[in-house]
Amino acid sequence: MSPTSQHTHTALTRRRLLQSTLGGLAGLVTWQGWPRRQVAMAQKTAASGQMTWAIHVTIAPTWFDPAETPGVITPYMFLYAMHDALVKPMPGNPMAPCLATSWSESQDGLTYDFELRQGVKFHNGDPFTAEDVQYSFERYKGGGAGDLKKRVQAVEIVNPHHVRFRLHEPWPDFLTYYATPATGAGWIVPKTYTEKVGSDKFKEQPIGLGPYRLVSHQAGIELVLEANPDYWRKVPYVKRLVFKSVPEATTRLAMLKKQEADVAYGLYGTLAEEVRRDASLKLEPVIPPGTLWFEFIDQYDPKSPWSDTRVRLAANYAINRQAINEAETLGYSVLSGGIVPRKFDYALALEPYPYDPKKAKELLKAAGHANGFDAGEVSGDSNFSWMMEAVANDLTAVGIRVKVRPMERAAAFAAHREKTIKNLAFHGSGAYGNTATRLGTFVYSKGAEAWIKDPEIDAWYEQQAVERDRTKRQDLLYKIQQKLYDEARFMSVWEHGFLCASGPRAAVSGLSLIPLFAYSGPYEDVQLKS
Amino acid sequence: MHRYILTRLFYAFISLVLLSITIFVLIRVTGDPVVLMADPGAKEEDLQALRIELGLDRTYVEQYIVFATKLTRGDFGKSFMYRIPVFELYLQRLPASVQLAVAAMAISVILGIPLGIVAAVRVNTWLDSFCNVFANLGLATPSFWLGIMLMLIFAVNLQWLPVQGSGTFKHIIMPAVALGLVFTAANMRLARSAMLEVLGSEYIKLARIKGLTENLVILKHAFKNAVIPVLTFACINFALILQGSVVVESIFAWPGIGRLLVEGISSRDFPVVQATVILGGVMIIIVNLLVDILYAYIDPRIRYGQ
Amino acid sequence: MDSSHALTTTETFAGQAVELPWWRRTATRILNGPTISLGILAALVFVAVFADFLAPYPYNGTSRYTPEVGELRNKYLPPMWQARGKPQFILGTDQQGRDILSRLIYGSRISVKVAVAAVLVSGIIGTALGILSGYIGGWVDQVIMRITDSWLALPALTFAILLAAVVKPSEWNIVVILGIVYWTRYARVIRGEVLSLKERDYVRLAIVAGCSRLRIMWTHILPNVANSAVVIATLQLGVVVIAEATLSFLGVGVPSPQPAWGVMLNDGRAGLMTGSWWLSVFPGLCIVFVVLAASSLGDWFRVWSDPQLRQL
Repeated sequence: MSPTSQHTHTALTRRRLLQSTLGGLAGLVTWQGWPRRQVAMAQKTAASGQMTWAIHVTIAPTWFDPAETPGVITPYMFLYAMHDALVKPMPGNPMAPCLATSWSESQDGLTYDFELRQGVKFHNGDPFTAEDVQYSFERYKGGGAGDLKKRVQAVEIVNPHHVRFRLHEPWPDFLTYYATPATGAGWIVPKTYTEKVGSDKFKEQPIGLGPYRLVSHQAGIELVLEANPDYWRKVPYVKRLVFKSVPEATTRLAMLKKQEADVAYGLYGTLAEEVRRDASLKLEPVIPPGTLWFEFIDQYDPKSPWSDTRVRLAANYAINRQAINEAETLGYSVLSGGIVPRKFDYALALEPYPYDPKKAKELLKAAGHANGFDAGEVSGDSNFSWMMEAVANDLTAVGIRVKVRPMERAAAFAAHREKTIKNLAFHGSGAYGNTATRLGTFVYSKGAEAWIKDPEIDAWYEQQAVERDRTKRQDLLYKIQQKLYDEARFMSVWEHGFLCASGPRAAVSGLSLIPLFAYSGPYEDVQLKS
Repeated sequence: MHRYILTRLFYAFISLVLLSITIFVLIRVTGDPVVLMADPGAKEEDLQALRIELGLDRTYVEQYIVFATKLTRGDFGKSFMYRIPVFELYLQRLPASVQLAVAAMAISVILGIPLGIVAAVRVNTWLDSFCNVFANLGLATPSFWLGIMLMLIFAVNLQWLPVQGSGTFKHIIMPAVALGLVFTAANMRLARSAMLEVLGSEYIKLARIKGLTENLVILKHAFKNAVIPVLTFACINFALILQGSVVVESIFAWPGIGRLLVEGISSRDFPVVQATVILGGVMIIIVNLLVDILYAYIDPRIRYGQ
Repeated sequence: MDSSHALTTTETFAGQAVELPWWRRTATRILNGPTISLGILAALVFVAVFADFLAPYPYNGTSRYTPEVGELRNKYLPPMWQARGKPQFILGTDQQGRDILSRLIYGSRISVKVAVAAVLVSGIIGTALGILSGYIGGWVDQVIMRITDSWLALPALTFAILLAAVVKPSEWNIVVILGIVYWTRYARVIRGEVLSLKERDYVRLAIVAGCSRLRIMWTHILPNVANSAVVIATLQLGVVVIAEATLSFLGVGVPSPQPAWGVMLNDGRAGLMTGSWWLSVFPGLCIVFVVLAASSLGDWFRVWSDPQLRQL
């Protein structure tokens, strides 16, 4: 693939497509014919029936407003239903044109042009124009807003169906930020309506371009959506979608069994086994870009045993990732040696260190800890107590004595950020993006949650941030990941298998249709059995 | 009498103020809500901007003054998570909790009183012992464990009842029983001892001597006198049941204020926690106040003794 | 087991005397007495103290001597009398493969420690403040009573959850939290007693004789309210055990992997759907029996010490 900038508009979009390793050629072929084919397949009959989801989170109205999406994947559960974006991941295509029919990057990398789809209307009948795109971008203040606003000089309306973004300087990750769920800046809200009702009222009665519109929301309990028959892509199959907030996993499974819900998110361990045993239910594992790992907080403290690479290696050899995988996620998680999901752009697929407690003990002995040592505590989100306990057991078995300190999710979050955590921290991230964004947060020493202080890695990171050449950028990022692995700077575990299940009424639950997306989608494609 | 009422009112008001201060400080000490609301990768300036927007950058005293002044206008503020006025949110969830509390109360009275009376009438027989054991077991069983056991038996194994949610009679029965059992046991014991007192009283002995039939004696006179303390106890404890349903609501996914409170605490949604606790406290304080006044009205010694 | 009413063991039907057979009389006497409760509680303390010898396995993790404990391949084994059960795990295993019986035994330690300590802490604080409030009177009384009233309007569980959100979970933090939550239960009653005690002759004499306030409170008031305090304390034992179990169940009490019974109940919830009933039933039964014993003892003690206190 030629890295030069002599490109036609079609080839440029091809290049953008291949930025993501999923889809690849298949994506290219389907993309060329995709919008036309989808219109041909549009279903003629009206939407009918009701499908219910039992979800594991409490619905927050801030998630109905794309302007305030934090850098996590959860709000997109609802954004995909009620709103639409210029470009978003769709089945078979991680960067599919939706509200934008095509786009291009200028040769100097300073301008991006988007052609908008015509004839699209918001739920309240307002027409979709470039003004709404500009407005949505400017009001965006969620995750990544700082970077976007800093780098984008202006958003120009060339004509009602053509938008142009001007950057201060070339930014290779602009489309990663704008055209993927890394940020919600590309998700469009109606300018006239939002200005009239204000942001707060908008969250109670959102208007968007999505396949469904909001009917009712009982705060924290239930959300009811109804199909939008004028959706540009197709008429949804199911007329009503109901989302019920059920924080208890056991209850979610019970609801599924009794058909009080058609899809349940977040089942694990014995609950997932029960789904497998029950012939009327279907287990649907999803692998979102969420990696889990342990951090060695004290590794730069020369007095701590963790400062010795051999000790960190020993820890990596001591844990039996596969056993925990089979126990809790029924083997669906993908074991990993790094903290970057391997499907991310520029990710280096690293196999984790194998389970070898004997070797671990030898390494410890070589480092001068023949009888092990007291490693303090491992803290993290109490939802993952099972992980921390299993790992603590494994570590204790080779002599690294550690106690588990589960913290309530919010507190764990806060402690990690405020850097009040000690010894070992269990952490993870499901944020969208690419390798650079993931490393930027957790490895680059100026990152918001980084415990790594390595000047060499910092230098490479800063270099790749301005490098427009794909191969050179990849080299630098690979080097960083390899170094982290060789020096065992993390104890990474796996890419977490998010186990969901669907009941007998669901023909198409929508899970695993969209690449790297944890939830059901696109909603216009979900179907009930007739 | 008026003086007594006024003093009591004044005390009630002070208690309420103290309660509000306690909860105000307590919830703020649990941590910084902004960290939870913002993007994991957000910078410090973004967080600070959010703090200023929510009014959290000022000192506790300033924040309390703002809070108290708003409170006098009936404004409890807006939930951090849901962005709607907290009072609205509270009113949305209150009916569900009230339903559950009423159901639990009803079960406890309908089951507890007859059991207590029977136990008193047949005192020291096997029936009495059985009732006493039942009462003790009821008081000793944690409501959440009972809820889980009921769920196991009736929802999972027998499949007679739905697991969660609200809406129909079938949904309410398990949480109401789980919540109400403790009060059933308490009511039973209260009814029993009240009944025993009455049965041993001079009045009843006289009625027996006069030759009135046993049943008439029991039903008409003793029952009436025994029911009063139980009903008083039930009314006082209604407010308590209303607040005490936190765990049962979580287990059965019952959309009440208990769940609202727990979610508020874990997401550090200050306005929600403050409002729930204060409104709940108001209920309890008002009930206590009414009871105090009632007793003072009935018993003059209390009025003038203090 | 409530023998509050002044009936003999011969009366059965609504006050009419009937002669009961001797074995019925003895049975009633035993049931109404403190023997069974004391027996259960003594057994509990015994188990708690000698847990290391009684428990077949450690409560967590693998060890050289019992390599099969904590192994994931042993998880969710039912009690030994059921089909898949193994004889070395008498009551079955939990989701991490740990022996339920051992965890129950070690859990008794936690229950005993926390309950006794919490009752002591709350009792001491509550009694002290009650005495101060009743005896000194004036603004001290007002302040303490207003705080008591306001904190009594805050449900115990809510208060405890909030306090637990402030500190990191640990056994001793739970003791402190429960102490803070429950002292108000003592203050009012003790204050009431002190108010009436103040008028007694020997107290008045002591004042006239020039004894300092502190001395009077310590020598004259305290011993006389101690009775009521102990009664409340024994009644509170059961309450505190349930409170600790509830907090642990919610995840804000004693931290996992410590085998507090509430923690075990929380762990057991996932197993319910798949029929692993033993995870939830056994810890719950333990809680029920302990609380039953504690409150029966409290009841008996209350009546025994002063029948007039029946209305507590």
